[in-house]
Amino acid sequence: MTLAQRGRWITIGALVLLAGIYVRALRFTPVELTQGPAQKIFYLHVPAAWSAMLSMGLVGLASILFLIMKDARLDRFAAASAEVGTVFCCVMLTTGPLWARPIWGTWWTWDARLTLTLMLFFLFIGYQVLRGAVTDPALRANYAAVVGICGLILLPFIHLSVYLFRTLHPMPIVLKPSAPSLPPEMLVTLLLSFGVFTLLYVGFVMQRYALGEGENDA
Amino acid sequence: MPEAVAGNGGYMIAAYIVTAVILIGYSLLLVRRTRKGTSRQEKHI
Repeated sequence: MTLAQRGRWITIGALVLLAGIYVRALRFTPVELTQGPAQKIFYLHVPAAWSAMLSMGLVGLASILFLIMKDARLDRFAAASAEVGTVFCCVMLTTGPLWARPIWGTWWTWDARLTLTLMLFFLFIGYQVLRGAVTDPALRANYAAVVGICGLILLPFIHLSVYLFRTLHPMPIVLKPSAPSLPPEMLVTLLLSFGVFTLLYVGFVMQRYALGEGENDA
Repeated sequence: MPEAVAGNGGYMIAAYIVTAVILIGYSLLLVRRTRKGTSRQEKHI
């Protein structure tokens, strides 16, 4: 079985599990009393944000290693992870405003967390535009690695922005030093969703990486 | 008296639909690109 085929099966499995998350979140997880049903967007928005951050984190790490080792596989992995990260960033940036509108009364606000997240999206886009614009493979890989490292540097600022600045965005409720502040049923749904989104990331990246291999061979 | 739960289910449904469309759409795009790449390689051989 080729890498692309294995990636496809993982993706299919993850999509089936995602359907299970939909059922669990919509049918079997309690409705939060203050926010109402819109709070359930949380089970997609937060894992999508996690996957987008994971993608950019791995793009950055692969980029650093590429600049040291000059291994083309690292560059190919970074390119695959960046494209997949853009997809998760799209999920995060569409579900976020759909949650914000009924709760905050606005689709968007230019506070630190949201603005930095938008910057992450533009970095993902910029990374790919750059790869498309530079024809020389060695130069392309070097320039892209620099953008990837910029993305990695941005990540801690996004995570800590809710502590550093006054913002409408809620504080982290799972990725924080103390215990998660969620009822057990909600926490289980969220953690399962984290698992499924991570699996989707793996499936997507395997397929996209295999595609990059094919393009290089042709 | 129990508090009334906010009626904002439409936003929730929209978010769930948008997420499914993006993720399934990208999955299909990857399959299509892989098939296109394979047929191009076969022609090349």
